[in-house]
Amino acid sequence: MAKGYRQAPGKSGDKKRTDGKRVAGQQDFGVPGSGGSNPHSNLQDLDYVPESVGGWKKQPRGPHVHDRHITGMTIGKSVPLVDSNWKVTGQAEYGDDIRLQGELIGKILRSPHHYAKIRSIDVSAAEAMEGVFAVATGQDSVNKFGVLPVTKDEHAMAQDKVRHVGDLVACVCAIDEATAIEAMNAIIVDYEVLPSIHDMEDGLKDSEHPIHDRGKYHIGESNVQKRVFQQFGDLDGMKSAPFVHESDWETAGLHHGFTEPHAVVAHWDPAGRLTVWTPQQVPHYLHRGLSAVLDIPMHQINVHRTFVGGGFGGKSDPFPHEMCAAILARKSGRPVRINFDREEVYWINRGRHPSRIQMGVFADDEGRIAGIETDALIDGGAFASFGHVTTYYNGVLHTAPYEIGAFNYTGARVWTNKPASGAMRGHGAVNSRCAVEVGIDAVSEQMNVDPMTFRLANLLPPHSRTITGFRVTSTGMRECLAKVREQSGWDEKFRNLPLGKGIGVGCGFFISGSGLPIHWDPENFPHATVHLQCDMDGGVTVHTGAADIGQGSDTAVAQAVSEVLALPLDMIRIRSKESDTAPVDLGSYSSRVTFMNCNAAIKAACELRDKVMKAAWEITGYNPDVLVLGDRRIYYKHDPAVGVSWLEAVHKAQADVGSLIASGAYRTPPMGGVHKGAAAGLAPAYSFSAYVAEVDVDVETGFVKITKAWAAHDCGKALNPLAVKGQIIGSCHMGMGQVLSEEMKYGRDGHLMNPDLLDYKIMSVHEMPDVVPIIVESNDPEGPFGAKEAGEGPLLPILPAVCNAIYDAIGIRINELPVTPDRLHKRIEKHCRKIKVDDPLDLPVPRFEPGPLQQVLVERAEAHAKRDHLRDIQEDRSSYVNGVLFGFDPDKPMAEQKEGWREAVVPTPQDLADPSKRAARAWGHVERRHRGDE
Amino acid sequence: MLPSAGKETWNASVNEEQHEHLVESNAILLDVLRDQVGTLGVKRGCDMGTCGCCAVLIDGEPRLSCLCLAKEAQGTQIVTVEGLADGHHLHPIQQCFAEAGGSQCGFCTPGFLIVSAALLDENPEPSRDEIKCAIEGNLCRCTGYQQIVDAVEMAASMKRNGAIPPNPTDPKSDPHPLGPDDPSLPPGSSK
Ligand code: FES
Ligand code: FES
Repeated sequence: MAKGYRQAPGKSGDKKRTDGKRVAGQQDFGVPGSGGSNPHSNLQDLDYVPESVGGWKKQPRGPHVHDRHITGMTIGKSVPLVDSNWKVTGQAEYGDDIRLQGELIGKILRSPHHYAKIRSIDVSAAEAMEGVFAVATGQDSVNKFGVLPVTKDEHAMAQDKVRHVGDLVACVCAIDEATAIEAMNAIIVDYEVLPSIHDMEDGLKDSEHPIHDRGKYHIGESNVQKRVFQQFGDLDGMKSAPFVHESDWETAGLHHGFTEPHAVVAHWDPAGRLTVWTPQQVPHYLHRGLSAVLDIPMHQINVHRTFVGGGFGGKSDPFPHEMCAAILARKSGRPVRINFDREEVYWINRGRHPSRIQMGVFADDEGRIAGIETDALIDGGAFASFGHVTTYYNGVLHTAPYEIGAFNYTGARVWTNKPASGAMRGHGAVNSRCAVEVGIDAVSEQMNVDPMTFRLANLLPPHSRTITGFRVTSTGMRECLAKVREQSGWDEKFRNLPLGKGIGVGCGFFISGSGLPIHWDPENFPHATVHLQCDMDGGVTVHTGAADIGQGSDTAVAQAVSEVLALPLDMIRIRSKESDTAPVDLGSYSSRVTFMNCNAAIKAACELRDKVMKAAWEITGYNPDVLVLGDRRIYYKHDPAVGVSWLEAVHKAQADVGSLIASGAYRTPPMGGVHKGAAAGLAPAYSFSAYVAEVDVDVETGFVKITKAWAAHDCGKALNPLAVKGQIIGSCHMGMGQVLSEEMKYGRDGHLMNPDLLDYKIMSVHEMPDVVPIIVESNDPEGPFGAKEAGEGPLLPILPAVCNAIYDAIGIRINELPVTPDRLHKRIEKHCRKIKVDDPLDLPVPRFEPGPLQQVLVERAEAHAKRDHLRDIQEDRSSYVNGVLFGFDPDKPMAEQKEGWREAVVPTPQDLADPSKRAARAWGHVERRHRGDE
Repeated sequence: MLPSAGKETWNASVNEEQHEHLVESNAILLDVLRDQVGTLGVKRGCDMGTCGCCAVLIDGEPRLSCLCLAKEAQGTQIVTVEGLADGHHLHPIQQCFAEAGGSQCGFCTPGFLIVSAALLDENPEPSRDEIKCAIEGNLCRCTGYQQIVDAVEMAASMKRNGAIPPNPTDPKSDPHPLGPDDPSLPPGSSK
C-alpha cells in the first residue's frame, strides 16, 4: 500500500496509480492510523509564524536565524508550566519528600562561636547511644571543595577552625530525629575562641588569624579574598566634568528567602554507587564536589535533583550538608536524610553581600556621562562561594546600558566571621546598579534635564561594544524606557506630585548567561547539551541537565522542542532530574538556562527533524525544501492537503535504526577583551529593563509604601509570556523587599538576630503593590528564537526606581538600604534640621524647570532612536564602540586617539592615593608570593 | 535525656479516609501528617507559623498544621492538598493556579490552595482585596502574589459557572485518526 495520505474534500481516492511508480503529490495515500479523537491538526498557527518565513507575525526588529524553525506551535504562547499539575496536587517531591526504606535522620552540630579553634572533639558518648548509627567529624572528610575551582575553601565539616556561628562541626545519623538531636548534643567540643571580625572594613587589615590561608596566593595577612581594579577611558575628562554626584552607600545583607528549607537524602546502593537527592540549582557542581570530597570518581555518583522550592542563587553552591549526608550514609550503610530548619537555612546563607559602595557619576556639559567611578567593598562572610565573580560584577556591570567616557572601578571582597554571602538573584549587580541609577537621577537634576531624557540620550545602540569590551547584541532599552514613560504618565507626574508622593525611574542591565563556564576543563566542553529520543509512539523525550527551580526551564526546553518539531507540548517529556540520564548542563545560575539550554535543544530538535523530514521525502516524493512541518503532520507547501503524518514519517525514519536520537550542544562564541578579568560579565547577550515606581512616603513616620510599578523588561523574545510576567512580578517582589524591609540584622557582637521569617521581613501580599509587567522583545540574534533572560535582570531597576521616587516625594537622596521607617525618619529629621524646617509636613518638594540642555538631549535622543532602529533592522551594521558619542573613531584603538586614555587592571600608587576609598585599600597588601619582589 | 512523651492513639479522617496512628501526646499535626499519615503535600517551610506552607483544612477551617498539636485535631475531618481534587478532576483552584501562573516553584502552593479553597467555599465571589486578606498568612517568594490573586479570581468564576476542569487522563488529542475520506480541509494553509 502506498504511504502517506491525502486529506482534501472530494479529492480523495480518485487518482489511483497502479504502476507502482511514485509521482510527487499524485498518489493516493493510506490511513496513518495513529489513534485519538481530534479530527484535524491545525497545521501552522500563522499568527505565531514570523513574517520573514511567510507567517503573519510582525517583526519590528528584523528577522532572526531561528525564524525558519518556528512552526507556530508553542513559542510566544502563554502555557502553564509543564510540571504544574504535580505542584498543584501536592505530588511534586521536594528535598524533604524523598523517603527511602530504612532511612536514618541526620543532624548537624554547629558552631556556637564566631571564630574558634577546635582543640578536640569527643564523639564517644554520641556513638555509644542506642539508635545512633554513625557520627562524623572533619576527620572523615579532609578534601576541600567550593563552587569555583579557583577558590575552594570549604570542607564538609570544620577541620581545625570554625569560622562563623552555625559553621558545621560534626554530624550524626540516628533512627529518628529525637535520638539524632540527643546524640548531637552529646558531642563534646573543646573550642579556643579567637578574635572574630564582623565589620567588613576590618577585613581589609592584616590580622593575626586570617580566616583562611591561601598559601602563597594570600593577600598580605589580611582577610581580603578578592580584589579587582579596572580603569578604562578618559579619566582626566571624567575628573574635570562639571556635574558630579558622589554618594556613599551602605546596603544590608540579604537572604534569598526561598520557602523550601534545604534538605538532602543520600543513599549508597548495593553496587556501591551513591545517589544524592537534593534541591539543587547546579547539580553538576555538586557532582564534582561530591567526587572530590568523597574521593570517588564522578561515574560512581548519581545526583538526583528533586523539585526545588525556590532557589534564587541560594541553592547553587555545593553544600557541606550534602557532603555530610553522603558521608553518614557511607558510614552507616543506610539512607540518610537531613532536613534543615529555618534557622539553619540562614546559617548556610549565600545571600546578597552586605556592601559599602562609593559611587561617583560624572556628566559633562553636553549632557554625556563622562564617567562612573565605583569603589565597592563587599562582605563575603566566612567562605568564598561565588565571591570571586561577585567582586567583578559590582563594577563591570555598570558599563552599559549607557555610553560612558570613563570607568574607574576598585572592588574588594573580604572574609568575615559571618555566614557566607554568595550569589543571589541579580548577582553582584543589584546594589551598585542602584547607586549608579540614583547618581544618574542626581546629575540630571543638576543639569536640569528630565532623567528619562538624559537616559534616552546616552544609550548604547544595538550591536555595539562597551568600554571594557562586552559585546552588546540586541537592546530594547529605549523601548523599555519609552513604554514605562508612557504607561506611567511620567511626563505629567514627574516633579509635579505633592509632598509625600513621588515617582522615580531606574534601569537595569544584566547578563544572559555567563560567557565562560566555571569549570572549563576540558576546554572546549559545551555549556549545555540536550539529547532527544523519539521512539515508536512518536513522542519525544528530552534529556537535559538544566535544573528547573521553579522558573520553568523544563517548560522552556519543552517549548523549544515542541516548536521545532511542531508537536504539542503533551508529546514532549522532560527528563532533567538525574545526572545518570541527563547530559551535563552547568545549572541554573547567571540566567543562562533559557539562552543556552534552549539553543542546545533547538539544535538537537533540528537534527531530529531532518531525519523525519528525510523520511517524509521518501514517502511523499517531495523534497524537504517544499515540505512544511505542521501540527503532527508534514505536508506539501503548495497543497497542504497532501502530506504524511508525523507518526508515519517517524516510523519510516526508524526503519533500520530503531529509536531516533539526536543531540545538540551550545557553546558561547568567542568574544570579549583580553585584559585580566575580561571574562567577568561577558555574556552572549544582555537583558535590559526600565521601571517606574510610585511611592507614598509618610513624612512624619518615615514609612514608605510602593503604590504601583510599571516594569518593562527586554527579554529578547517571550517564549512563554505568562512565565516572563511571573518572573518580572516576582523579581519586583524581591527587589521591593530589599529596598524597603529585608535585611540580615547582625547585633553588636556580630550575632545574626533574625534567622527566621518573622523578623526577616519578606513582603506579604498586602505590601505588594500592583505591578504592570511590560514585555519588550528585541529579538536577540543569538538567543533561542530571539530570547534572552528574564529571571534576574528584572530585579535590578526596582531598587533605584523606588529610591528616586522617594527623592521625588520628599527631596531626600537615599544611600542606605533597606529604607526602613526608622532609617528614613532619622534622615527626615536631619534634613529638616539642615534646611531649618520645623514640621516635616512643610518640607519643600523638588520641582523641575527644564534647563538649556533639555532640548539638546531631546533632539539627541530622537536622533539616536533613528540610529538604533536602523542598526536593528539592517543586516549590515557599521562598528560601534563605546566612545563614538564622545567623537572617537570606532575602528581605531582609543588609546591612539586620546592621550591619557587608560586601560589598566593593576593600579599605580596614584590610583590608590585617595585614602577615603575603601576597597582600594585592599591593594595596599602585597600577595605573599610577590613579597620581596620590589 | 528528656523523658519522651507517652504515646496515644490518634485518629482523624484525612482526605476522607480514617487514619489511626500511635503518636506522642505532644506530637505536632504537621509531623504526624507528613511522617505518619504520609501526606507529603503538606509542606514544612518554617515550623513557626510564618510561611503558611503547612496549611490544612480542619473541619473546613484553614489552620497551620505546624502550630497545631495533633491532639487538637483528634477526631476531626482534615483535608490536605491531596484531598482537593476529585479523582483526576482537579479542583478549579488547582486548575487555575496552573493556568494563571500562580505556582512557580510550587512549594508554597499547597498552602495557598488550601486557604483559597476555603475562601471560595465561603465566598463565591471574592473581591481582590478579600482574596488578599484570605492569603495574607501565606508567603510566596516566587510569584509576587499577583498571579496567585489572578488564579483565585479565575477559580471563583470557574466555580460559579460550574465549569469542571478537564480530566488529564482523557486521551490526548491526535489529529490524524482519519483517512482519505475525511470531508474537510484542515484549517490554516501556507502560501
Ligand atoms: S511551616 Fe507552618 S507556617 Fe511555616
Ligand atoms: S511559587 Fe515558589 S514560593 Fe510560591
